[in-house]
Amino acid sequence: MIEVRNLTKKYGTHEVLKNVNMQFDKGKVYGIVGENGAGKTTLFRCIAGLESFEGEINSDIQPLKNHLGLLLTEPFFFQKITGLEYIRLLCNARDTKIADIESRNIFELPLNQYASIYSTGMKKKLALTAILLQGNDYFILDEPFNGVDIHSNIIITEIIHKLRELNKIVIISSHIFSTLGETCDEIHLLQNGEFVKSVQKENFLELELEMKEITVGNKIEKLGLI
Amino acid sequence: MINRRFTDSGVEPPLAYVALAIGFIGLSFYLFHKTEFAQYIFVLSALALAGKFSEIRRTEFIKFCFGDKRWKKIRIAENLLIVFPFIIFLVIKLFFLSAIILFALAITLALMNFRASLNFTIPTPFSKQPFEFSTGFRNSFYLIAGAYTATIIAVVVGNFNLAIFSMMLVFAITLSYYTKPEHEYFVWSYSLNPRMFLIKKIKTATLFSSLLTLPIAIIIAIFFYQNIGVLLLFFLVGWAFLVCMIVSKYAAYPAELNIAQGFLIAISIWFPPLLIVLIPYFFFKSQNRLRSLLK
Repeated sequence: MIEVRNLTKKYGTHEVLKNVNMQFDKGKVYGIVGENGAGKTTLFRCIAGLESFEGEINSDIQPLKNHLGLLLTEPFFFQKITGLEYIRLLCNARDTKIADIESRNIFELPLNQYASIYSTGMKKKLALTAILLQGNDYFILDEPFNGVDIHSNIIITEIIHKLRELNKIVIISSHIFSTLGETCDEIHLLQNGEFVKSVQKENFLELELEMKEITVGNKIEKLGLI
Repeated sequence: MINRRFTDSGVEPPLAYVALAIGFIGLSFYLFHKTEFAQYIFVLSALALAGKFSEIRRTEFIKFCFGDKRWKKIRIAENLLIVFPFIIFLVIKLFFLSAIILFALAITLALMNFRASLNFTIPTPFSKQPFEFSTGFRNSFYLIAGAYTATIIAVVVGNFNLAIFSMMLVFAITLSYYTKPEHEYFVWSYSLNPRMFLIKKIKTATLFSSLLTLPIAIIIAIFFYQNIGVLLLFFLVGWAFLVCMIVSKYAAYPAELNIAQGFLIAISIWFPPLLIVLIPYFFFKSQNRLRSLLK
């Protein structure tokens, strides 16, 4: 369980997260949606302990950060470090010994090449592989489907299902509603630093339609396309 | 950009330039006083510095901004500006041929492009414990090979000082692996407290730096066995500087080493016993700096 209580985050006078309260339970997949700048990444960084904040974040396994697999929106890679070394680095950091990394390379990445020359999708898949092999209990996946091909998209969806089966907590942010619909048990809408709506799986379609109405409205007509 | 870096470090640019000039003059006199190979080290250092500006993406950017004709002038001007102090010093020291060669090579270098990254993976013995030594070794293997070659020359000509210089050069190269702060993700990822994190970094660095310097140390021990005490002393000093570099890097983290830290390290080059104070000081400072990322 991860419990977020009265979480507030300010950058100077700008309040990015406003008294956020949320509980994430084991064996569930949570989707966080919201416009750019709504506070999703800041929320993730606070949970991970990468940001200072006001409020409380508790977890059943302590310390949370040592059991958390964090997939960044744009994973960072050193120059001249291979895919294999990147995975080793992250596994060593958590003191996880993986005997045969290459046999677990399910995305068939060129692990002996420098990761910095990978494509966006390949980088994402490499970073995801690394945090999966770390053996974490909690996962925060910021835009896991960004830039990945259709085959990998299917594999990532299946991985998320498997993590649920293994009783892990998975929190995902994505701008692609269909993938969230397929993977999540609950979706929470973050707007201007506050959760304004939370829906269960049976009401996803309703939320999607509502968001479409709010976001699109009659904007397309304004283009005057003929 | 250089001015901005000085300002970010809290130092007024004019003051920084004066300090740099004094540092350069001091180091140059020290180098020429210490070794007969100073003019070669001087030329190579100047070219290494100028070579940094020949990275292909940088050159392409300049070409794109200023067009085909002007980029050559800009690059030549840049390189000459960089090597100018070196040329002046060589002339003062009456090494006219070296000064002319440096001048010519700087112009030639300005018109060349170097790819920052090659497409093939350079093998490294440090692959099991990434990242500092694996990335560092790939960036500097040719310098290490140069140091090994210098050791062989030292043995052939029976020059103990050159042999020690080669070993210390390898230590200096490994120090450079720890000059830039890494992305916070690669600190945060460790399930260690700050103290254990620093100890792990120090252990890896001393072990791997020993792997690189031991071949030289063994050769020195065999061929200059009468100076084994001096060799051990230099080996310990090399380790001490490496440890100092690691802890000072994290003492400034996530920022880069600041001018004050650089100044303290520079003083310890002249007076190594200062490291006995600096290492624990930076170690405790590092722990405080890392506390927000490592629980």
